[in-house]
Amino acid sequence: MTPTRIPRPRRSARWAVGATALAAAVATALLGGPAPAQAAADNGLLCDTSPTNTFTLKADDDYIATPDGNSIYMWSYANEVRGHFQFPGPTLCVTSGQKVTVVLHNTLPEATSIVFPGQKGVVANGAPAQPQFDGGGSLTSLVQAAPARTGTVTYTFTAGSPGTYLYKSGTDVSKQVQMGMYGALVVRPDGHPDRVNSRADSAFSPTHEYLFLLSELDPEAHLAVERGGPIDWTTFKARYFLINGRSMPDTLAPNNASWLPNQPYGAFVHIRAYDATTNPLPATIRYLNAGTVDYPFHPHGSDERVVNQDGQPVQGDGGQDLSYLKYDIDVQPGQSIDVLMDWRDVEHWNELTNPVPTNLPAITDQLLVGTDTWFSESPYLGVKNPLPANITDNNVCGEYYHVAHSHALQQATNYGAAFGGMMTVFRIDPVAGCTTN
Amino acid sequence: MNPGTTRAARSGEWVARPGRAVARLGRRGWVVVAVVLALVVGGAVTSRMLWHDPAQAGMPLNVDLEQSAGIRFTRVAVVADGGLLEASYVVLDPEKATRFQSDREHPPAIESEERAESTKRVALMKQGHQMRAGQSYYLVYNNSGGVVRSGETARIVYNGFVLEHVPVIG
Repeated sequence: MTPTRIPRPRRSARWAVGATALAAAVATALLGGPAPAQAAADNGLLCDTSPTNTFTLKADDDYIATPDGNSIYMWSYANEVRGHFQFPGPTLCVTSGQKVTVVLHNTLPEATSIVFPGQKGVVANGAPAQPQFDGGGSLTSLVQAAPARTGTVTYTFTAGSPGTYLYKSGTDVSKQVQMGMYGALVVRPDGHPDRVNSRADSAFSPTHEYLFLLSELDPEAHLAVERGGPIDWTTFKARYFLINGRSMPDTLAPNNASWLPNQPYGAFVHIRAYDATTNPLPATIRYLNAGTVDYPFHPHGSDERVVNQDGQPVQGDGGQDLSYLKYDIDVQPGQSIDVLMDWRDVEHWNELTNPVPTNLPAITDQLLVGTDTWFSESPYLGVKNPLPANITDNNVCGEYYHVAHSHALQQATNYGAAFGGMMTVFRIDPVAGCTTN
Repeated sequence: MNPGTTRAARSGEWVARPGRAVARLGRRGWVVVAVVLALVVGGAVTSRMLWHDPAQAGMPLNVDLEQSAGIRFTRVAVVADGGLLEASYVVLDPEKATRFQSDREHPPAIESEERAESTKRVALMKQGHQMRAGQSYYLVYNNSGGVVRSGETARIVYNGFVLEHVPVIG
């Protein structure tokens, strides 16, 4: 199993990759475990891949951290090659039409399993994957499970339509999924790993591919399981809202951040503005909902084009493009939505040759908090103008920043404390990029 | 993070996680316990248990600063591709901490100990709600140009107090 990702081309990023790899090697030496080979990029999607499409996952337990200082007991999947618990489970990347094998080793105190919604013809231990019943006819699992503590089950299937899918527990589903038993499965088009689906117009920049696996958790439910008791669903109330297993501001931290050892996936988006010559391809963001309620995810600063939903291209019967722009990506439970996102200066505004024909907004309209701003005092990407003396400027090179978050604002909190939760930041650099951070 | 604690959902109070009662031990038993503890402590140094500490490894303390601000800094990390800096702290005294976080005109400065550069541009999500003892909060600083860099040390300057030799992670 070889997690891979195309390296970022920027010199600073290469330095960061090298530093991260060195740090990972040092950490590995200290921790005595196999290197997290995912430490290849500071942000963006980290894939687990395998030349034989064979993945061995261990159902295990450990703790995660939340930004307000809580420590939550979790169940999840570890890539057994790395041998390190992680939440969410490893992102498995495969190619459409190829046979995939997932071996599940269970160390949990109860039986568990994996279902692959959207994949057809799944086989478990050589038999069709199908619901399991006890002697009295009661459902015990949606598919064949690995028995508690030492059980193993092997699933095989042929990767289906290109897109993004959940994989998750099919046993005691409400409890085990709440406990963290889920991950993402990315199916790439055969021969076109740089496309969301088989359509040529779904091409994206491979160095700007992002996963937003959305979920929520109730710490009291986790505490109950930690203590070996049942979950009281009548009092269930989600307190933490997560992107890739992290809440704001941890979402800004790099992949494999040392202070989040069990939450390896960040959610910071960093792109450059569209340019037909130097940056012609959009980024892609793969939204997944592993929770129980809708997550109305608001990109905040720009529309995103929905091109794929639940692993199917958004197109008509005749193949006509039916993709559409959305300013709020409403991701429903169990759903996946794949979008393309870029930043275009459509009107070609130029401070000298094509100025914006309206009065510029007052700086006070651009304040984020207090007397500081990320506004460059210019609406032109890549241009900085002087700011009033009482304003501090966080802007390096005229780049844009905006937050992106669930627009159900209680989901943008950490245990009720705003802001936090299901929130991150997008950064858009000018076409020429920034020479510094 | 609070070792051995988690917070109940409904009450919001920090509570102890289930522990194991210590039985009455003889002399030999205590020797065994000491050996086991040594192994556990040693193991913790080289294990992933480190993250259960409330502060990052090597985080210094300044009692005077803590008594003044009612908070303890627990982490300084470079995030967002190096462009931002996250400073986390845990609340010790909610009343003082509320004053600390409400004083937007005088945020703590984070100064590099490697070069003559600093930042005090708190850019994001300075929270304005009632603070709770034992809960962690954060400040996000502008870090344009890499004022503070991962692997280096920095100092936090606030209200005349200085917290030196803060390891910067990221």
